[in-house]
Amino acid sequence: MPDTDKSAERLADKYYVERCLDGHPDDFRYLVRRYQAVLLAHLAGKLGNKDKAEEAAQESFVRAYFRMDSLNKPDLFYSWLLGIADNVAKEHQRNEQIRRQREAVRSFSQEAPQPELSQDYALEAAIAKLPQAYREVILLRYYGQHSCNKIAEQLDMPLGTVTKTLSRAYAMLRDSLQQQHNNTYEV
Amino acid sequence: MNCAEYKGLLVAYIEGLLSEAEKRSLQEHLKGCAACQTELDEINNLRRRLVNNGKILAQSDIENVVLERIIREQNVRLQTAEKAGTSLRIRRIIMKSKIIRLAAAAAIIIVAIVGVSRFFGGTVTFAEVIKPILNARTVVLDFVVGSEETGPVMHDIIFGSKIRRTFSNMDTILIIDLDNAKMLTLDPPSKGAVYVGIDGPLREGTRNLIEFVRNAVIRVKDQPDMPVQELGQREIDGRKAVGFLVRGLNEDLTIWADATTATPIRIELLYGQTLYILKNIEFDVPVDESLVSMDVPAGYTLSDKQFDMRQFTEQDFITVLRLWAEHMLGGNFPESLSLEDLMNLTPQIGQKIGQLNISDEEKTQLGMTLGRGFVFFQQLGPNGVDWHYAGGGVRLGDASKAVFWYQPKGSPTYRVIYGDLSVKDLAPEDLPK
Repeated sequence: MPDTDKSAERLADKYYVERCLDGHPDDFRYLVRRYQAVLLAHLAGKLGNKDKAEEAAQESFVRAYFRMDSLNKPDLFYSWLLGIADNVAKEHQRNEQIRRQREAVRSFSQEAPQPELSQDYALEAAIAKLPQAYREVILLRYYGQHSCNKIAEQLDMPLGTVTKTLSRAYAMLRDSLQQQHNNTYEV
Repeated sequence: MNCAEYKGLLVAYIEGLLSEAEKRSLQEHLKGCAACQTELDEINNLRRRLVNNGKILAQSDIENVVLERIIREQNVRLQTAEKAGTSLRIRRIIMKSKIIRLAAAAAIIIVAIVGVSRFFGGTVTFAEVIKPILNARTVVLDFVVGSEETGPVMHDIIFGSKIRRTFSNMDTILIIDLDNAKMLTLDPPSKGAVYVGIDGPLREGTRNLIEFVRNAVIRVKDQPDMPVQELGQREIDGRKAVGFLVRGLNEDLTIWADATTATPIRIELLYGQTLYILKNIEFDVPVDESLVSMDVPAGYTLSDKQFDMRQFTEQDFITVLRLWAEHMLGGNFPESLSLEDLMNLTPQIGQKIGQLNISDEEKTQLGMTLGRGFVFFQQLGPNGVDWHYAGGGVRLGDASKAVFWYQPKGSPTYRVIYGDLSVKDLAPEDLPK
């Protein structure tokens, strides 16, 4: 097979990126389908709310589409998309902060409403706190439904490194979940 | 091995990546080591939580919302930009080799053809609207296969039984002579020309689209018990239009006509699994007959290659699948398969073939095989052949998964093409679910 240095996953991403660049927006569908859960998990942890994560994920995809011509290596779509999502999340957080400050000024006596949390907010928050390399692997494995072999291909790392990274990530997630649990019940 | 080393194997164990020997050794250890067993249970608990959360997030329907937003915003940008291409910085594929351009052009011949053997009946309530369709000598129109947003646009000048066709995604010009089952393909950048035979099985039932619609309308007139549904008024391209829907056995025909002049301005034809949209239609406009001349224009060189579309086989179609997966998608079969997909693919795959390390002669042959493969696929629907595509997510070489199956006319069994491109005959009850 040609292009043996690149994974099939990345080649498929590249194909759809090029299709979009050639004026076929509908093919963006495949990229959305492939990465929506990954992006949602990535954002849910940062924004703490499923609705907000959805909004930010939509925004990230739309931005990605219209900036696609600045993507120099179309086969690295995934990492590039996460970068865009990070920026969107930061903007959302900043806006949220400003809104809260304004609200606090207006009605500081009222208690702030509880944010509506998604199904497993604790887990999503723990994922958001993982260092980048570990988060990427967890996202691909559980939200992108990639096998370990596919992750190795996509991230260009040996299979052994993938399982070691997963193993380390599990340990960090468990610590983080345990800590959240303690904070909730011991205060 | 000590406990720490065994713990290091747990993830690979869960993922099914250990060798038989390692697996047995670990299982043996787990029986006697409570700490490692607890560690395994905890990892599995966490995994369950991750899997559940992943499932919930995957249920979100952001796909359609995102696509809608993109299309809407794109339209806004298109309207405000001077030139659509510059504002979106859309690149166009430029095919380098002349022979490949001609071969790719030959492949696109399929879109000139809509095979019709059966049609439907109806009423005469929209007699006024159908008059131009029945009587026009010349018709000029734009025609899209599939989605209006993404399908390539073809511009047709129809003069009697001849068509001059140009494309939005290729420079090629086709002049099709339906009476003589012949097509002249012109490539303006390289000044290349080639004749393509479209005789044989293709000839029978070959019509231009207006003739297709015309025949449909004639049947409607003859069988007045078939209802025509009125769709009311709608604005199309700034004009007030009235719509009529005729439902056939395999076809839905929607005609939108100018509300004051009763001239059809847009026709949508859903035939089998394919949507054809005819728009910007003008009837009986003066057409320079030289535009549909079958003579090679001055300045063009006629190729000595013989492009022949008369015979097309399942094997040609299999070659299309193989080339697509192997050269465009890194060994994956495409997510979907439609006429629109194939038309969109043509310029890109033509370019890919141009880059292959084979002789020009072989490239030409491959181009022609590709064209015949397209024709094979294109004629399935019009011939009433039941077909199904299931290649999404399948890897080239995977013998366990079916990619495509169809029931040849008159055959009790289906032909099933697998991921390794092997083919089996299966009874309908044995087909993949």
